[in-house]
Amino acid sequence: MVSNEETKKIANLAKLYISDSETEILTKELNNIISFANEINEVEMKTETFANANSLENVLRKDEIKKSFDRELILKNANEQENGFFVLRYRT
Amino acid sequence: MNKKSGKIKYINSLLNTKAISCKELTLNFLNSINSLNDKLNAYVLITEDCALKTAKIVDHKISKGEKISLLEGIPMTLKDNISTKDIATTCCSKMLKNYIPIYNATVWDLLLKENAVLLGKTNMDEFAMGSSCQTSVFSGALNPYNVDYVAGGSSGGAACAVASGTAVYGLGSDTGGSIRQPASFCGVVGLKPTYGAVSRYGLIAYASSFDQIGPIAGSVEDTAIIYDFILKKDFKDSTSIGGKNNPTLNLLNKDIKGMKIGIIKELIEPLNEENKKAIDNVIDVYKYLGAEIIYLNLPIIKYALPIYYILACAEASSNLGRYDGIRYGYKTKEYNNKNEMILKTRSEGFGFEVKKRILLGTYVLSAGYYDAYYKKAQDLRNAIIKGFNETFNKCDIILSSTAPTTAFKNNFCNEHPIEAYKNDICTVPINIAGLPAVSLPCGFDKNGLPIGAQLIGNHFCENKILNAAYWLEQQLSLEFLSMGAQI
Repeated sequence: MVSNEETKKIANLAKLYISDSETEILTKELNNIISFANEINEVEMKTETFANANSLENVLRKDEIKKSFDRELILKNANEQENGFFVLRYRT
Repeated sequence: MNKKSGKIKYINSLLNTKAISCKELTLNFLNSINSLNDKLNAYVLITEDCALKTAKIVDHKISKGEKISLLEGIPMTLKDNISTKDIATTCCSKMLKNYIPIYNATVWDLLLKENAVLLGKTNMDEFAMGSSCQTSVFSGALNPYNVDYVAGGSSGGAACAVASGTAVYGLGSDTGGSIRQPASFCGVVGLKPTYGAVSRYGLIAYASSFDQIGPIAGSVEDTAIIYDFILKKDFKDSTSIGGKNNPTLNLLNKDIKGMKIGIIKELIEPLNEENKKAIDNVIDVYKYLGAEIIYLNLPIIKYALPIYYILACAEASSNLGRYDGIRYGYKTKEYNNKNEMILKTRSEGFGFEVKKRILLGTYVLSAGYYDAYYKKAQDLRNAIIKGFNETFNKCDIILSSTAPTTAFKNNFCNEHPIEAYKNDICTVPINIAGLPAVSLPCGFDKNGLPIGAQLIGNHFCENKILNAAYWLEQQLSLEFLSMGAQI
């Protein structure tokens, strides 16, 4: 079982701020999902190596320099930019 | 208009013979959107300028006497998590409400070069997390058969648009059933291709080892045409393989006599009475067509839901870590320091369902729980893949219902979140194993809502499932809604 305190701790790890009232609801819903997730503990199995859906192999390419996006374009969706940089302003 | 023969070839012949211009065709669809979208909410953005610009190019080609290819000039949609250069792509989240991509998803690049007419971006659950379309910040798309019911999700808008005749086809994405379930709820055809068949470049990530782009259309033939076209290896997606087993369209007609169709007990047990009856009818049709029905067990499927929610949420918590308000997306207005800025941005930008899944993902990846949940779920994922591999030694394809029920009532998912998760039982095992599966309508329940049959194939056996789907569609010859653009 996850406590309200734990939910807040996880939220902090996930960089989410949640209010006290939200914490109550989220704790309840998380516990519902976790008890349902606990079903997997019924299965005993020997450890296997990590799966990926198709047993795909890595596709490698030569490490060559190619033209990418212009700096101007990359900055286009930024909330604030200055002299070709993203700006993060501290307000006190 | 005979739906079972497909619309794409028909429209193509109308365009090539100048029976209709691409502009007229496009305006016809845009008008249908204008008259129906207030009610159905399938579209979150209508891209009229883009559509008419392409229509003009197509008409110019035709006027010069050039023959146009099958997908040229066909009015279509993209789910709002597929990046479109210079056209807003919001994932139906406040977080990306003002986001305008600077590049195209590979699938859209391919279709744009083919002069596909983009009518608009379609509604979806926020970041594709949901099975009702109702976690959308724009509120959900509704079921065209009855607006008291949902269109399904997450690609609810794409399915609703096709079912309501406001688009010929659309591309959606499927992480745990998000193409097939809305297709099933809306009475259209939806294909989730093999993982790696279609490029994911430019698809805004939810759970990268599950996500796959695929078509939603009105018929199996149209679905095959679109699938064959987007099936390409892409160097921008390192998990893309492209077409191993080749095109599907030319094999639709192939005789299915002797095809071995597996029925897995664990995929049939969760069905409600009416869905089960509809699938029994499908079994009879296949027997009549000369297929061999084989009854099988795959007990590990019982654990598919917890495995899916653990792994998909773990991947989501990592993928959605990028939304920090600095480089793109929503940014909070007031804050005292960097940490507070990021916390407030994410808390205000994400909706409840997204936060819940990020929290669950963070929990299962955190120290002390990693082995019990994440690692265990990965091991079980392996076991499911193995289970399906063994199953496909005994049969060619698998038949089930796409969902245990027909469409939910509008508030069902909010009121019963766990039941809604559990309703994904028939679709999530397929994403866990990276298999292809198609949903197609196979009947209606007592409320007149469509029921979907699901055909599952081994990796890169889209040709087999579409072949079987085509025969079923021809044999059932169901009658569908007639609304939207009449052509």
